[in-house]
Amino acid sequence: MISLRNDEGRGAVATQESSTEAGGAKGATPRFERIVADYGGLISRIAMSYEADPSLREDLTQQIFLAVWQALPSYRADASLKTFIAKVAQNRSISYVARQTRQPRTAELPETLEADDHTPEQHAINLNEREALLEATRQLAMPQREVIILVLEGFTYAEIGDMLNIAPNALALRLSRAKAALKKILEPGE
Amino acid sequence: MSDFDLDRLGDVWRQQPDPAELEALRRSAEAVRRRARWSQLIEVAAALVVAGLVVVLALSNPERDILVAGGAAIVILLYSLIRQRRLREAELHGLTGSAEEMIDQSIFRVEATLKRAKFGAVMMPAGLIFGLSFGYLIDRGSAGRPMTWYHGQPGLAAIVLALACASLGIATILLFRSMRKSRQELERLTGLREAYRKEGEQIS
Repeated sequence: MISLRNDEGRGAVATQESSTEAGGAKGATPRFERIVADYGGLISRIAMSYEADPSLREDLTQQIFLAVWQALPSYRADASLKTFIAKVAQNRSISYVARQTRQPRTAELPETLEADDHTPEQHAINLNEREALLEATRQLAMPQREVIILVLEGFTYAEIGDMLNIAPNALALRLSRAKAALKKILEPGE
Repeated sequence: MSDFDLDRLGDVWRQQPDPAELEALRRSAEAVRRRARWSQLIEVAAALVVAGLVVVLALSNPERDILVAGGAAIVILLYSLIRQRRLREAELHGLTGSAEEMIDQSIFRVEATLKRAKFGAVMMPAGLIFGLSFGYLIDRGSAGRPMTWYHGQPGLAAIVLALACASLGIATILLFRSMRKSRQELERLTGLREAYRKEGEQIS
């Protein structure tokens, strides 16, 4: 079982997105343009983990943007904006999967990444690793996929518990099972 | 990937899209926002135009029948606006609630769609029989004059028959396609709900 040792620490995982609240004053509806600038990456990654086909993924991304735009006036700042966006994006993606008349593709096409890695070799390693991770995530059962994506996105366990509306011990168990399933897919021989 | 550490995998996962991809996302989001805004405006404008027309018609011909028909049109318009608003609120609730709530709500929605489609499938032949009987009664009441005129126009009967068959065929295909799609969606949603339930049971 995975312990929740890193609950506080995970909140400190500094992504560009979590450091910015795209809204301004509390209670004011955040600006959509700012949300796209700050959370576009998050939305894009969530879409990638539910749809592999790039053209269909574009459609899903647009559906998520529309859902965020529609839901934005109901944002009450009782949770972080990032949490709100992630929840809307996940729910829209899950309903998208349910609406598909065919099984979503799991084969992944190459993703373009920002060259954070300095050597071409390191870039290739990261690219392959990310592709493998995306592909493995898409093979997880929906409840496990949901929790793994949120963990990989750097949400705290408290935030994930709130988003999924489950108790901490249930979250720990679900995450433990999700991690085991992910490991089995990524490291089938071990 | 031998070092199976979620924190490290998170670092790999959270790599930002490149600037070109971010720009494409920004453009796509802007297009979505513009379309949604326009559709909201068009919806409000259309409702105002219809309501305005009804009021103008009723005021220019203040007869009882017209006032009743105008009142009914406005009531139908209001009902449809309220219904749309409720549907949107339900959809919004689904988007911002938990996945399980969203799935339950989607199941309810798809079941309702399926029921409506089944009702439509039953009503289609009934409606056809009703329409034909109505036409027959009108024709008989007018001593066969409409049908005599109808058959007197060269080619009209063939055109009307072809159009009627095509419309009926298209409506039937669309109806059954919608039913098949709803069934598939329902199957998937039920599977998803089962997956969440199983996950919860295994945990408890």
